[in-house]
Parts: sequence; C-alpha cells; structure tokens
Amino acid sequence: MELSEKNRLRLARVKHGFARIEQRLDALLPPTEAPSEKNAEFLPNFCTGWVVFNVVVVAEMLAIVINLVIPRNLLSSSSFQDLLLISLFIQWVALAGTTVLCYTRKYLNRLPNLRALGMAYLLLLLTTFAVSECAIWLLWLTKKIGTPRPEWYADFHILTLTISAIINGLLLRFFVAKHELTQRTLSETRAKMQALQSRIRPHFVFNSLNIIASLTRREPEKAEAAIEDMADLFRMMLSEDETLVPVKNEIDVANKYLALEALRLDNRLTVNWDVGKFPRKAVMPVLTLQPLLENAIRHGIEELPAGGVVDVRLWDENDKIHIRITNPVPKTRAKLTKTSHVQSLENIRRRFHSHYGDLATLTDSEENDHFTVTVVLPTRGGNP
Amino acid sequence: MRVLIVDDEKLARDRLRELLNDIGGYTVVGEAMNGSEAVEKTAALNPDVLLMDIRMPGMDGLEAAMHLMGMENPPSVIFTTAYDQHALDAFDVNAVDYLLKPIRKDRLAKALSKAHKLTMKQLAEVNQARPEPTVRTHISVHLRGNIRLVPVPEILYFLADSKYVVVRTPTEEHLIEDSLVNLEEEFGERFLRIHRNALVATGSIKGIEKSPDGTWQVSLKGLENKLDVSRRHTAQVRRWARNRPMNA
Repeated sequence: MELSEKNRLRLARVKHGFARIEQRLDALLPPTEAPSEKNAEFLPNFCTGWVVFNVVVVAEMLAIVINLVIPRNLLSSSSFQDLLLISLFIQWVALAGTTVLCYTRKYLNRLPNLRALGMAYLLLLLTTFAVSECAIWLLWLTKKIGTPRPEWYADFHILTLTISAIINGLLLRFFVAKHELTQRTLSETRAKMQALQSRIRPHFVFNSLNIIASLTRREPEKAEAAIEDMADLFRMMLSEDETLVPVKNEIDVANKYLALEALRLDNRLTVNWDVGKFPRKAVMPVLTLQPLLENAIRHGIEELPAGGVVDVRLWDENDKIHIRITNPVPKTRAKLTKTSHVQSLENIRRRFHSHYGDLATLTDSEENDHFTVTVVLPTRGGNP
Repeated sequence: MRVLIVDDEKLARDRLRELLNDIGGYTVVGEAMNGSEAVEKTAALNPDVLLMDIRMPGMDGLEAAMHLMGMENPPSVIFTTAYDQHALDAFDVNAVDYLLKPIRKDRLAKALSKAHKLTMKQLAEVNQARPEPTVRTHISVHLRGNIRLVPVPEILYFLADSKYVVVRTPTEEHLIEDSLVNLEEEFGERFLRIHRNALVATGSIKGIEKSPDGTWQVSLKGLENKLDVSRRHTAQVRRWARNRPMNA
C-alpha cells in the first residue's frame, strides 16, 4: 500500500522516541513551524450519536411546548394523543434536517462562513417543507383525508415553515456564537505559543543540556552553575506576564544567558559591555537584551568558525534608554539565512510595539560584515 | 573502529570522546570543528565512521556528508543534532542514522554498531526537506583518490565538456561529474548562463564585448581567454549587464 508523503512523515514523527527529559521539554516547546492556520470547522459534525440525541431532546421539548399552547384536543380525542402526533411530526423534521446536514456538512464547510450559514438555513427549511408534504401525502394515502390538497394545506405549510424558520434561526445563531468562541480560543492559544517560542529556542535548550551533561563529569561546579543559570532563564522565559524591570536586572539576566552561550562557544565568543549611568527609575521589559544578544550569536558568532566580538552599549540620552549591539556576520551570507534573521528581529520589534506603541524604535544596519541593531526605549514603561 | 568527531562546540566533542571511551572498542582518530575540516581530516585519517553535528559554521554537516559521499570509499556518517525537526523527519523517512543531543551512551553504542553508509539520494532528500536547504559552499574535486575542496566564491566558471564539467578558478582547472542544469539550479544566484555549455560567476565578469564577427564574448577577471555568449543567451546576458549594480 502506498502511503502518502505526509503520512510517512507523520508516521516517522510518531516513531520518534525521545528520552524522558527531552519529552518533557518537548511538551513545553511548540514545533518550529508556525501552528497550522487551519480554522475550526464552522458546522459541527451532525452524524455523531451525541448530537443526534441532543436534537431529539430539543425537538421533544418543542413538541411539548407546542402541545401546551394549542387548544386542548385539537387533533384527537386526548391531549396525550395530540402530543404523540406533534412529537412524531417534529421528530421527523428534526432527524431529517440532521441527516441532511450530516451529509452536506463537508460541502458546506468548504463555503465561506456566511454562505454556509445561508445554505444550511435554506436546506433546513426545504427539509421542513418536504417532511410536511410527506405527512400530508401519508394522511391521504392512509385515507385519513380525502385529498392531498385539503383546505388547511397552505395554513399547515405556513405554520410549519414559520416555526422551523424561528427554531432553526436560533439554532444556527448558537452555532455561529460557538464557532466564534472556538476561533478566539484557538487564536489566543496560537499567539501564546508563538510568544513562548520566540522566547525559548529549542536549539539553545538542547545544546545547553548536552554541554551540561559533558561538564558534569569533569567540572561539576561549572555544571552546577550552568544549571542554576538555566533555571533562572527558564523561569523568566516561562513567566506569563511581561513585567518591567530595572536596567541592572535585565543586564543580570543577559549575563546568565551569555554565560551559557560562552560554555557552548568557548573562546569563540567575546562580549564587550559598555554600560552608562541610568536613573534608578529606568525600566525595560524583562527579556529585552537576551533576544537581541541571541540574534547576534545565532546569526553572527555561531556562523563564524573563528567566532568574534559582540559589542553591547547601553546609555541614557534625552531620558530614553539606548541599546546598541554590534556583531560580525559571515562575508557571504545565504539569502535565506538573512530572511530568518529579519524574521526574528521582526518578532522583537512587535514585542516592543505591544509595550510602547510607537514610542520605541528598533533599527538595524549592515556594514563591512558587521550587523548593528539599535533600540531606543522610553525610560518609563509605556502602555502596560 | 576508527571514529572522527565533528562538532563546533568543544564540550560536545569532549562528551562524545568520553562516551566512546566508556563504550570501548573505538579509537577517536581526530576531531574537526566544521564541515570542511571534517572532509580534509577524513581524507587524511581515513576513519570508518563520522559522528557529525549538522549545524556548524562555514560548511555544515549535511554539505560535508555530500562531499564525503563522492569519495571512493566513504566512511559511515552518524549525524548528531540538538533540534532540527525538519531534518529529523527526513532522516527517519530515509533511514539515515542520527543521534539527539544530549547524547546518551546506549543510543550511541547502538548507532555505532549498526552504522551504515549514506547515499547521495538520501542526503539530497534530507536537504530538500529542510526549510532552508543547504547550498554548497565548496565543490569537491577528486584527485587520484584524494579529495580537494574548491570554495565556490573562487570559481570563475563552469564549462560543460562532454561527460564532465570543467571548474575553472584563477589558478587551476578541475573536472567534476555533475550537470550544468544541477549547478545552475543550486548556484543560480551567483552564476549566469551565457551558453548552453557555460555558467559564469557574475562576480568575476569584467566586461561584455562584441567581437568583429558580430558575436558577443565575456571577459573575466584574471583570465586571458574570453568565453562566447551563444546567440540564444545574448539577450539575457545583456539584460544582466544593464541591471548589474555599479560596484559588482
């Protein structure tokens, strides 16, 4: 049997056995690709037993309500028989409608939402009409009435269609609301995952763990320090709220990150700090420096066999925090590598925007095989 | 069994060395810090198996493996990687050996015991599965069983000659087995097709001249002889010449 390429890949992914710690981390880390953009399906699956059961219950309640409002013994000698007749008819309509939606759902979900809604509504009304017509024919065939066009023919259709229009309208309105809720939850989850992923890069995590494993044998003290740094970093990265922290704290966090990278890159990484004086009230979003430094390392130092120097300058000017980070980049960079670099800068820019609106700027330039990114932030936190 | 360890991180190399020591029965014949070093050391030290990281500066592990597979008796390659979901999926599908970092002793022992040789086809499929497929930084040339890496920026032109392709640098000429179509597809960004049988590095073009008999020729930096532009490619070459940046 020929498996499709996608299925083979999926199978391979399933076969993939991760070690325990990696498994745990994987649960935390989303896959590198953007989460699937596929939207939740608009109409639910009407073919399941649970939905059918619900439809039956709702239909029966409707039958009871109708039986309560019509004059007593309208259709037969007892009101219980009336209820049976009404129930029979309404259950027919309800189940026929469910069946129709069950079979047409695939097609309807392919349409734009508004048209799918209109089509479903139309189909349900048509079903109501068809069942009503069938009921009349059945009465005629069983000789309960003398003609397939009794005098109440038009009234009956108008009545059933009106009730169907109202009930189905309510029903579909419910589906729209439910769909919107699902969509909102989905997009929120997606945004959260993306935010988390832009903070923790799997490559960094697993490489660091490998390095720590290596250190535990020969230099347990270093390994211990590395684990502590990693724990502090992760706590920051995993925290839900984006708080504003004093400049000094942010530099501390950045240094913990750099200590881990220095273990990995050994003598290939040199960082020159030049930190000016800042007023005590000066704050910036937590994890502002770390992603900028990560970029400098990932797209600069890591790509250079001999490594290089990252220059970090922070200064206070016109009551604004200025950050300038310069790093060397390979002479001939592939076009695609540049794209991913631009992408990660864009993520950082977006984060600043959510904090400060237009008050923060991030500019970048490349000259003489050196990449420079300059960030200007208001000293006080802007929009919370 | 002779093992060559390839990783740009020193501590990662140390760990592999220690794990191999624990397992026993393996000799580490050397270490390399990037792909091109791996190719050179493989040619010099003749290891049976390479433990090679994928992400490395300069030449990455996949490209190094591609060069190695052109050797007469290539070593087995086991890739090591921290996280590269796309490559891993393709490894699984194509039955390529790999280890995940942090590397575990039992996994390493198992991988070494069943290590097998790669094929070009496997590598090409793995490469294509990645979001940013590797474009070779070097062309490997085989000289009497030995392997030589020619950096792509040094190449002036590729010239197809019946079965082979001539690779021309300012100082040397080599023969490789490849097709101009493949080369153009891979290096299309830096090379320009001027003739059915010629791809020229745009950076090495000095000028485009019309010869007395009305055909066009390309002159190259550091070379005496000129290359003919075929009639079919004239329009394309002249269009490129008009749009070329002034400092190119």
